[in-house]
Amino acid sequence: MATPIRVDSAGGEYMENVVILEWAVGLGSSVTAGETLVTVETAKAATDIDAPVDGYLTAIFAEPGAEVPLSAVLGLIGVTAGDTAFDGELDEASASDEERSETIHPQPERVAPDPSTSEDRIVASPAARRQAARLGLDLRRLGASSPSGRIKLRDLPAQGTLVESRPVAALPVDDNGPLSVYRSGRESGVPILLIHGFGADAVSWSPIERELARQAPVIRLDLPNHGQSPHRRVGRFANLARDITKAFDDLCVEDVHLVGHSLGGASALALADVRPRRVASLTLIAPGGLGPRIDGEFIEGLARASCPDSLGPWLRHMVCDPKMIGDDFVRAAMASRMDAGLRAAQLQMARDLFPDATQGFDLRAALERLECPTRLIWGRSDAILPWQHALAAPGRVGLHLFEATGHAPQLERTDAVLAILRAQIALSGVRA
Amino acid sequence: MAIMRYAEALNAALREEMGRDPRVFMFGEDIGRYGGVFKVSRGLMDEFGEGRIRDTPISEQALTAMAVSAAMTGTRPILEIMYADFVPLCMDALVNQASVFGYLWEGQIEIPFVLRTQGGGGVGTGAQHAKSLDVFLAHIPGIKVVAPVTPADAKGMLKAAIRDPQPVIFLEHKLLYNTRGEVANEEDVLVPLGKARVAISGTDISIFASSKMVVEAEAAAKLLAKDGIGAEVIDLRTLRPLDLSAIKASIAKTHHAVVVNEGWNFCGYVSELSATIMDHCFDDLDAPVSRVAMPDMPIPYSEPLEAAVIPNASRIAEAARRTLA
Repeated sequence: MATPIRVDSAGGEYMENVVILEWAVGLGSSVTAGETLVTVETAKAATDIDAPVDGYLTAIFAEPGAEVPLSAVLGLIGVTAGDTAFDGELDEASASDEERSETIHPQPERVAPDPSTSEDRIVASPAARRQAARLGLDLRRLGASSPSGRIKLRDLPAQGTLVESRPVAALPVDDNGPLSVYRSGRESGVPILLIHGFGADAVSWSPIERELARQAPVIRLDLPNHGQSPHRRVGRFANLARDITKAFDDLCVEDVHLVGHSLGGASALALADVRPRRVASLTLIAPGGLGPRIDGEFIEGLARASCPDSLGPWLRHMVCDPKMIGDDFVRAAMASRMDAGLRAAQLQMARDLFPDATQGFDLRAALERLECPTRLIWGRSDAILPWQHALAAPGRVGLHLFEATGHAPQLERTDAVLAILRAQIALSGVRA
Repeated sequence: MAIMRYAEALNAALREEMGRDPRVFMFGEDIGRYGGVFKVSRGLMDEFGEGRIRDTPISEQALTAMAVSAAMTGTRPILEIMYADFVPLCMDALVNQASVFGYLWEGQIEIPFVLRTQGGGGVGTGAQHAKSLDVFLAHIPGIKVVAPVTPADAKGMLKAAIRDPQPVIFLEHKLLYNTRGEVANEEDVLVPLGKARVAISGTDISIFASSKMVVEAEAAAKLLAKDGIGAEVIDLRTLRPLDLSAIKASIAKTHHAVVVNEGWNFCGYVSELSATIMDHCFDDLDAPVSRVAMPDMPIPYSEPLEAAVIPNASRIAEAARRTLA
């Protein structure tokens, strides 16, 4: 049985390790008790380790330069030249230098993923996380407005906002002020007047408006209870038509190319009916008023939506390919609907114009009466207003039906819709 | 109520407490005949005599040990250290004596003394006479550290400190002595140690500061108000023990925090504040805490250079805007 060579005796104060300087005796040599075997360096001095017994140096576990703990076994003194039998713990001194250095500087087995490079990691402030948890919102579906890229409280609907909107806030006193009007594009030429649909606003025309503005003056307006326009109880569609007509008269333009989408299409048609000589052309995109059917749940859901999580599904329902409505689009749309008063006013308007999920007004006769160049654009996958309503149009009206397109052809088929509008303008007005 | 300067408010507190309790006495360099370099003890030697207002040689180390010993033996000493820059000379008596004797002797003794000193820059006093070493002192368990900004708090807190059974470090600022404010005349109006004060109420961001930095934070709040940002300024008043409930209440409201201290940034008092906020208010935070402190460098003698490094209103406002971005 061999005797271990230990460092303990070389210990001093405040030390945990020593460094092996040199072995005074070669492996296999015979040694005498008290003979210096190895010199180690402590924090304070070099210290000799002496042989505890007579015998042979049969094993060296720590080579010069190695740093070993005080408890380590540096080597063995055997009874014979071949005796390496030892049943104690060898501790780290028995490990190779490479292994030992790992012991001294342990490496973590698994490296945690770097949060800044991990796509799964959501960067959100603690307060935003807590608010999202309270509201049951998925942070993945929200965008960050901060330049830091961190989702902050302001990117979430406030708790108070939700409470305020359910049930819907009481309607304030009617505001009969003028509708909001936006002008852009060229100075001269016949202006193009764009009227948006229910739940949208003038901003929703942006890709179309930008292109049209290169060739003509463009005028957009916000329907009552939409965008920046005043809030008031519209009641019947005839009142809405009167509002639009008044706004048109206030524009002080001679004539216009008229373009309307959905409820805005119905409004444009009603306007063309009462101001026929001033409408150079009429383009109706999935317009209302040509039949009774409408997706009432969509209208109600859109009007009520008070946070991105409730708005997003309805916006995606509106188009054929839901992937085109990204989180940013939803967030931007929600940002324009944060006013609980606006949502309440729209909800009332929806119930007035579309009672019992029915289009409560019929403009087919007006379409019959029109004389100006008129085109209808519709998506054959429109889930809100069925494209078959277009079949009510007289033969004089041009029909453009798009496959795999929902209720927003101007978004889903922007280039094609622009081409139709350009052709319409070129054909119908020499001054455009 | 009376309008008083900060130095006058301190003088009133000293006079009242010395009149009230014969165990109270004060010593330090040039505090007696000269009345103190900032005239805080003006007239007290005439009133209370050389036995209770004592001029001493320059030896901060001996003076502090003397304060500890005198307090242990039943008096209530007040020591004035002329410049906070020399607090390191006092450290042994604070760290190895004042703060631990009560513990070592199982509470059989109390060490009721007050160490008054002043620090801070802004008047070109250079790298050895302009520092704020608050954090050196606030680091020590068992010692209270206060740093009031208003004359009213200066008086009320100095009186509370003199009556406190524990060692209290009373930090003043050389640019505050001449500031004026309403101060209670009554002898028994104490301002409790360990309670913060809402200097300006706001809902968008909390600015935590003490001493002269409260003045800067208030000016920053005015700058921010022009941008429609409602900053809440919390005057901590006591650096240790911290008024945690005031900190939590403010951040629960604003979700944003800027912490300000005139001392160095690295391992600074601001770092402690920031970590404390992270520990206790993490889920309320909507942005990381911003620190505004002295850059890690000697304080320049040149006044323009000094002005460029000392935390001020515009740096605080900038930090607030960054935090809210």
